[in-house]
Amino acid sequence: MDETVDPTLTAEHDRMATAAVASAAERCSDAEFQTLLADAVEPAYRLALRLSGHAQDAEDFVQEAALRAYRFRDSFARGTSFKAWFYRILVNLIYSRARTRRDERSYEDLADARDLYLYARTAEAGIANRDADPLGGTIARMTADEVAAALAALPDDYRTVCTLYFMDDLAYQEIADIVGVPVGTVRSRLHRGRKMLQKRLWQLARDHDIVRSDREARP
Amino acid sequence: MSIDRRLTCVEALRRLDDYLDHELPRLDAGRVEAHLRDCEACAKEFGFERSVIDQIRGKLRDVPLPDSLKGRIMTTLEGMA
Repeated sequence: MDETVDPTLTAEHDRMATAAVASAAERCSDAEFQTLLADAVEPAYRLALRLSGHAQDAEDFVQEAALRAYRFRDSFARGTSFKAWFYRILVNLIYSRARTRRDERSYEDLADARDLYLYARTAEAGIANRDADPLGGTIARMTADEVAAALAALPDDYRTVCTLYFMDDLAYQEIADIVGVPVGTVRSRLHRGRKMLQKRLWQLARDHDIVRSDREARP
Repeated sequence: MSIDRRLTCVEALRRLDDYLDHELPRLDAGRVEAHLRDCEACAKEFGFERSVIDQIRGKLRDVPLPDSLKGRIMTTLEGMA
């Protein structure tokens, strides 16, 4: 993890510290808060791993986010989504560390990802519905790391929304609250991102010999 | 557009993502379901897309968790309480 540059942490700290404090009736007790946090640690680690790509970084991010959440626990109101509140802290933390790394990759090859991309490709390749799998093993034969690599290859804005979507059962509005964009933006990024992901998965399946030729899949 | 009018395949496909994510209003979701009951081709496409999402989710969530992480965090918080 890059520990040297963290220009937005102070601003984020101030924003959280000055956020509206929940009323006394809305506030959780320490015990309630710790229970909510304990339940969120494992899914938060999975999310952090897929966003950061590194197990040790993910542990550090979740640990730091938990401490921040606890420090600012009075800004969480009982009855609202704890997960969305905690994930917002976590995602802000991860991206505040990553913001110095500019995304300069080219995504031109994903620009033409169409509706039903994998549906069309697997049908053309003659592998759809093989072994009762509608996808003909295109994803089933991939490792988790291969699928994660396809997700990581999306442009950052799309990758963040798609990662939140796939790693947890969140509504569009919850994702919008976490990322801090309008729900319509989440909808368009998610729909577009899923099409790009399908194209990337197909490219990976071809590159990794999971789909060996237009008529043959890896056994 | 009349509420009772059946969706065309293009109209159903336009609603595919929102339908799969349970983000359509109930009335609209009902119209998609009515279309899928009558249209085998669209039902197959929607089923395929559902499988894609489920399989990606399954792979991405397959993450070994560090044994001690939760314990370490909770111990630290108890120390701060």
